[in-house]
Amino acid sequence: MVPGLKTSPQELLRLITMKTAECEGLERVNGDSVIEVDNKSLTHRPDLWGHHGMAREVAAITGNALRDPVSLDLLPRSPADIAIEIEDFALCPRYSALVFENVTVADSPAWLRERLESIGLNAINNIVDVTNYVMAELAQPMHAFDSGKLHGKTIFVRSARAGEGIAALNEETYQLRLSNLVIADAQGPIAIAGVIGGLDSAIGPETKRIVLESANFQAANVRKTSVALKLRTDASMRFEKSQDPVNTVRGLARALELLSQVSPGIRLVGGLADRKAEIQAPPPIALEVDWLIRKLGRALTASQVRAILESLEFGVSETAPGHFSVTVPSWRGTKDISIKDDLLEEVGRMVGYDSITLQAPLIESVVPPANPGRAYERRVRNMAAAQGFTEVHNYSFVNEDMLAAFGIDPCAHLQVSNPIASDQTLLRRSLVPGIRKNIIDNSRRFSSFRLFEIGREIHSRQSELPEEIPHFVAAMYEREGDGSASLFELKRLAECLMPGCDVQPASARPWEHPERAALVVWRDQPAGRLFELHPALGIEGRAGILDLDLAALERLDRGEKRYQPLRRFPTSAFDLSVVARLREPAGEIEKRLAAAAGDSLVAAEFVRAYAGPPLPEDHKSVSFRMTVGASDRTLSSDEVAAIRNRVIEAMRASGFDLRV
Amino acid sequence: MTAGTSEKLASMQKEQENALAAIAAAQTEEALEAVHVQYLGRKAFFGQVGKLLGSIPPEERPSAGKAFNDIKQALEEAYNKRATEIRLQAQNQRLSAEWLDLTLPAPGPRLGSLHPVTQIQNEIEDLFTSLGFAVLDGPEVETEYHNFDALNIPPEHPARDMQDTFWLADGHLLRTHTSPVQVRGMEKLGPPLRMIAPGRVFRNEEVDASHEHTFYQVEGMMVDRNVSVANLIYFMKTLLSAIFHRDVKVRLRPGYFPFVEPGFELDIQCLICGGPGCPVCKQSGWVELLPCGLVHPNVLRMSGIDPDEWGGFAFGLGLTRLAMMRYGIDDIRLFASGDLRFLRQF
Repeated sequence: MVPGLKTSPQELLRLITMKTAECEGLERVNGDSVIEVDNKSLTHRPDLWGHHGMAREVAAITGNALRDPVSLDLLPRSPADIAIEIEDFALCPRYSALVFENVTVADSPAWLRERLESIGLNAINNIVDVTNYVMAELAQPMHAFDSGKLHGKTIFVRSARAGEGIAALNEETYQLRLSNLVIADAQGPIAIAGVIGGLDSAIGPETKRIVLESANFQAANVRKTSVALKLRTDASMRFEKSQDPVNTVRGLARALELLSQVSPGIRLVGGLADRKAEIQAPPPIALEVDWLIRKLGRALTASQVRAILESLEFGVSETAPGHFSVTVPSWRGTKDISIKDDLLEEVGRMVGYDSITLQAPLIESVVPPANPGRAYERRVRNMAAAQGFTEVHNYSFVNEDMLAAFGIDPCAHLQVSNPIASDQTLLRRSLVPGIRKNIIDNSRRFSSFRLFEIGREIHSRQSELPEEIPHFVAAMYEREGDGSASLFELKRLAECLMPGCDVQPASARPWEHPERAALVVWRDQPAGRLFELHPALGIEGRAGILDLDLAALERLDRGEKRYQPLRRFPTSAFDLSVVARLREPAGEIEKRLAAAAGDSLVAAEFVRAYAGPPLPEDHKSVSFRMTVGASDRTLSSDEVAAIRNRVIEAMRASGFDLRV
Repeated sequence: MTAGTSEKLASMQKEQENALAAIAAAQTEEALEAVHVQYLGRKAFFGQVGKLLGSIPPEERPSAGKAFNDIKQALEEAYNKRATEIRLQAQNQRLSAEWLDLTLPAPGPRLGSLHPVTQIQNEIEDLFTSLGFAVLDGPEVETEYHNFDALNIPPEHPARDMQDTFWLADGHLLRTHTSPVQVRGMEKLGPPLRMIAPGRVFRNEEVDASHEHTFYQVEGMMVDRNVSVANLIYFMKTLLSAIFHRDVKVRLRPGYFPFVEPGFELDIQCLICGGPGCPVCKQSGWVELLPCGLVHPNVLRMSGIDPDEWGGFAFGLGLTRLAMMRYGIDDIRLFASGDLRFLRQF
């Protein structure tokens, strides 16, 4: 801990968490307290990737003074011994370097090793350790080259050339692309800019002369390179947060001081080499105290605001009462702070969010717009659950093996480009493969069950986003039995959702039982399918499936309800038994009967089917109760008989015998 | 009384005795009905008072007629009584034969159940709807623009690392959060607006007991003329107290999410220990629950809303996580397991 700081480590951890960044834990290492900060909470704070930045926060929070470890006066003023050529200042806004001779490479003293180890960095040798120490302290990544292994006296910062590669310090070799920025000597790349140094120019026991690099690289380019090479380093993690170009020479000054301590006799060769683009100071930000008060919902005074901003080293000048012009320090201006809302956060966190009292907003009371699709899904869910079905959630992914079992060509499926597991390669175009897995898994434990899922089918389209179609898939499994009960129960469920829907025999898909597959039609529109899973799908027992397109259902369900006057005159009924071939669907016979009966028909209800003597082989008799009536009178017995005869004639004309 | 009349009366009594015996002997409704026809039917002895009285001198007819009617009435009563006896007897026989073992299990399906995440989601949708929030949907396959750029996360922004992304062959991606629906909501509704967007999100992560590549979130947003941090705290506390069915203490601390400024992590005071510290809250007394913040002016601007005129807050709540907390579920993989032993518990 910092000498002179009276705050306990636990309290410091709490303060940093509440005002700056999330702390994950406190550890005792080498007699010191180490607070671990969550990296992700520092994504926007390049300055906090060094201890000095964190010390500045602590000073502001606790009201202590911040001591700067850097003394720029140490930097030499003589001409530089090496030249620097930067190809594109956008990618490398600044490159600074010092050259040293009479270097002794050895182990670092204990204090340095312990410091590095306590924050999880390995001690390597005194030179490398100093570069790492400065990085950890000032957030400025640095690199030391063995100058004796470099060619020429010019450092080039340029894009990699076609076919170039580099053996890096981690002993891996990387093939470089044109978009990768490299540091190069006369012969070729000596480092991947902002990511890693080269092996060939690494510091070794024999090193006598070094070039010490302290540069600034464009965040986006470093990140792109690091992602492309799958190489994240302490340097790349810092550069991709947009480091402060002002910091390069501060790093060199600090390193110079430390090197003279850990490598006795070390001598500068020439002065500071420093190439840079013109560093733009971020423009000042206009800030109103009243606006801060409105946004926070808490009282503030102008002097409070000023004190907070100044404690964080912002420049504050009052242009009018309650109006400030705020200049941003260079280490906060690269990306972090550019608008007044960013300053709102600075003031808010420092005054403390816990000092804000909750307040009900003054807003209009309005009825929110309806979401009919979602309301409909909820209705379907509740109905399915009430009928004994248990809801499952399956993944949106399928893989080739699952589809192969179904005989489905994977080509039409949208592919995942970067799956981490082999079962995540494709997006589902049907919920049924997932349901089949649920059936197989649960059939090991239960002899009978009902389950359902509501989820989206994903169908890719040219250029635009894929079509996502909500589907409802209900399944019934029976280990024993002929499977018909499940299918009729599912048909009943379909009728509960779609009163008056029609189930029409349809040619089966490869995963459907060829004699037990039907199209579900509602209000003349296809709404889904009802089928038994094909026995080849590896299910012991039988599973019936109802698969409905919920988007279609919801559209078709929207009819307005109108009252129909109740029937005032009695109806009459008569039974008809139609002889048909065994596989003639009863639904077809019923439709013919209804068509023949015409407008007088109130209902045609299936009564029973019979096969056996005296009927011919391969035939059945299907009986229906026909109810007829009129809305304005009671039909006479002659009229009823006429309708009956008409129906019988029509059925005979279309080739059906009737048992009358 | 003439001798003839006495004789007639005697035979009447004789018939009465026979009828009574027959009534008593009848064991079924049918047998009793036959007795009735035999003695009391239209063609039977007691059905024909005229025939009887015709042969009796006129002065004796009133007394004979009365005797006849008394007997007939008595017989009808006997018949009715016997009929009731037979019905009761038959009913008792039926009832005693119909013993039913109601301890046997009832056939038919049991009530199914909704997925635990659905149940939490329904609850939250209802809660927000009651406060005037619209419930919106967005696609699960998103454009890079809506998932990242429009949320102030441009390409190469390091915040993209916070959410490992499934990229798709057509250049789109699986949404890593429900936040893109904020953007779609602003585009669709315009200000002022209050909306939530519950749904499935994806992260390209290895799966273990506490990590899933597929889980559920709800995004919330309010945009209005004057929206402050104090308002945000009010809403969060109100809603979280309703969700957890008790007064919940909340606190905000800085958190970084590019689409809000300032951004917060919202903690709730540990519901297990109530503050002093326990293993659930890692002894801190607080549990991190949801990220939130004031909507970043860039995000408003990209959705065509003037940040000088409008402001807002946004938050994201993990529905799967909430379900784990609510039901004490310690393995996130169970949610997508399809295991009925798990799902039937809810």
